[in-house]
Amino acid sequence: MGRFWSLLFLLVPILGVGCFVWAMAGLWPMRGHWLPEDVSSHGHVIDGLFMFILYLTGIIFVATGLVFFWFLWKYDAAQNAEPVRFMHGSHTLEVVWSIIPAGTLVFIAIYQMDAWADAKLRRPMLPGPDGKLNTADDIPKPPIAEITGRQFEWRIRYAGEDGIVGTRDDVQLVNDLRLPINEEVVLSIKSQDVLHSFFLPNLRVKQDVVPGMKQFVWFKAQKTGVYDIVCAELCGWGHYKMRGRLTLQNRSDFDRWLGQAHAAQNQAEFTPASGEAE
Amino acid sequence: MLGRLFRTVTFGLAALALVGGCGSPTAKYRRYETYVRKMELGTGNDKFRLSGPNLSSVDEVVTALYGTPDEPALPALDEVEVAQVLDLAKLKLAAGPVGSDEQGNVRGLYREHCAHCHGITGDGWGPTAAFLNPYPRDYRPGKFKFKSTPVGYRPTHDDLKKILLEGIPGTAMPSFKLLPDLEVEALVHYVKYLSIRGETERTLLEMLMAGEELTKDTRLVTVDVSTPELKTRQQDELAAVKDRVSTVVKRWQSAPEAVVAIPARDSMTAEQLDESRRRGRDLFYGAIANCVKCHGDSALGDGTLTDYDDWAGEFIGKGPDQQQLIKVFVAAGLPEPRNIKPRNLRQGVFRGGLRPVDIYWRIKNGIEGTPMPAATMKPEGDASAKGLTPTDLWDIVNYVESLPFESISDPFQAVPAIPRERL
Repeated sequence: MGRFWSLLFLLVPILGVGCFVWAMAGLWPMRGHWLPEDVSSHGHVIDGLFMFILYLTGIIFVATGLVFFWFLWKYDAAQNAEPVRFMHGSHTLEVVWSIIPAGTLVFIAIYQMDAWADAKLRRPMLPGPDGKLNTADDIPKPPIAEITGRQFEWRIRYAGEDGIVGTRDDVQLVNDLRLPINEEVVLSIKSQDVLHSFFLPNLRVKQDVVPGMKQFVWFKAQKTGVYDIVCAELCGWGHYKMRGRLTLQNRSDFDRWLGQAHAAQNQAEFTPASGEAE
Repeated sequence: MLGRLFRTVTFGLAALALVGGCGSPTAKYRRYETYVRKMELGTGNDKFRLSGPNLSSVDEVVTALYGTPDEPALPALDEVEVAQVLDLAKLKLAAGPVGSDEQGNVRGLYREHCAHCHGITGDGWGPTAAFLNPYPRDYRPGKFKFKSTPVGYRPTHDDLKKILLEGIPGTAMPSFKLLPDLEVEALVHYVKYLSIRGETERTLLEMLMAGEELTKDTRLVTVDVSTPELKTRQQDELAAVKDRVSTVVKRWQSAPEAVVAIPARDSMTAEQLDESRRRGRDLFYGAIANCVKCHGDSALGDGTLTDYDDWAGEFIGKGPDQQQLIKVFVAAGLPEPRNIKPRNLRQGVFRGGLRPVDIYWRIKNGIEGTPMPAATMKPEGDASAKGLTPTDLWDIVNYVESLPFESISDPFQAVPAIPRERL
């Protein structure tokens, strides 16, 4: 009977790995449970880090599971007549299993630095007054739109033709974000009330927003289509429905659409469909 | 022996509590207590109270006409086709508990998306309402602020739909733009339904009060029809009820006819626009439009700060007994009244929409239920008449549109040139 339990423990690493393999393969009923489609230019870096850490922890998970199983199997009471021996511990072993994880964590910390800097520090630049890129007077690329999270919607304010958010030609919309593909896009993200997190799963972009702070995110999308904007920070009872729609378009389609949205926002005449006009 | 009996009883009670405690109670419409209180005070006798039979007779008629939160119904009227205003199939999508039916169609949309704030009854007093400022709308008086029709008229279906799609910036009302169109339609119909139901409850309470010799046993509609006279009386009373309900429904049905057309704004050069804004500014501060009275000297919305909106004002009035009435009606369920703030026009947040037509409607039509009055209009070119022309209104719109972009409106631009040094 005793060894039955050790076999049960063996199922933990087997089923654990099985779930992941099943999801990666996209077989029923785990279809669509693996990473969402990546339509960004930098997403493979994030996914690479994710997979690296997954494999690393996966190996440790399987190894630990096998060790547990082996001990349960070998030292089953029914199979061992010898009395139990106690040992006080092994200094060498403790040093080894402290240094290896510490070294691994330091490696991960250094290994991901470039990805972090790309996502958070190296904002796309525009040539400064000298007209040349990569010189000291470069200016940060201004945001194409400002996105304000509030319970429970995303308010969007396009910079408009002048490229500055907060001026008269801004186009203001809600929950319906459209962006051009094949170019670096910068967004500025704010919150009006509580903590939110602006998450574009298909672009591998996630940025927490704190009321009173302004954050910037940037990315280059590579494929047209309709994707999700979700809130990734529990922000209140309606958090689950704080969704937006991201539509990625070619630059020309985007410009045409923005022009139409601007015209609709400046509607300055109204004729009722029915009834008498005054 | 006794111990065993005790155990059996305890287990039995626990099991009952478990079975009975699961699932929420059936949703019920709340009675319009504030309006009941208003009717009672309207008699001039502070001690007067409507009796249980008085009130339940009204409840019964309203339920017979409109059904329950789980099973909505539409009144059958001879004079007006209710189905033109309310679509029962859509109402059923919005009504009931959250979930879906056997075919997988969604149900209970109103309770999923709206009832938290607006309440099951549409009384603007759902569980989260007390935490919101401004309070969520109470639909029952049938008054809505942001619409294309003048004050006194009901909003159109499209007016309400626009609010659902765009939300109301500056308030807790979010956008429901990404819901499927059918679901938004269902919710608009349900809002109209709750509004019409609430208006009916009001008018039936008024009808009860208007009846002769109100006693403790008076019923809105006679139930006892043992004699031919009583039978005739019941028929007459039912006809009177239907007449009142028809009046309510007709107001909604005729709303599209009241939509206010807006003449096109002239296209202007930059100089002409500046000139127009200057004229708008003069009107803003002038005696006819007199926007400054409430919106304040610097348009910060600090002109008149002591008014109440109609949702509180219709109960508490403006008289010297206002504080006393606040106590009375808050006890009857009125949200603690808050003073209504004129809009701060420098923030660039326009609740009813920021299109020029939206701002034009607000100025031309006024804002229902608030101290914002409709503009007094006069024809173009009549200098002697008192009032505003469409050109004047566009001048004001142009001025209002420019306010958020004046340098003093922008806290970043308004930072002093030399920041104070740290001590």
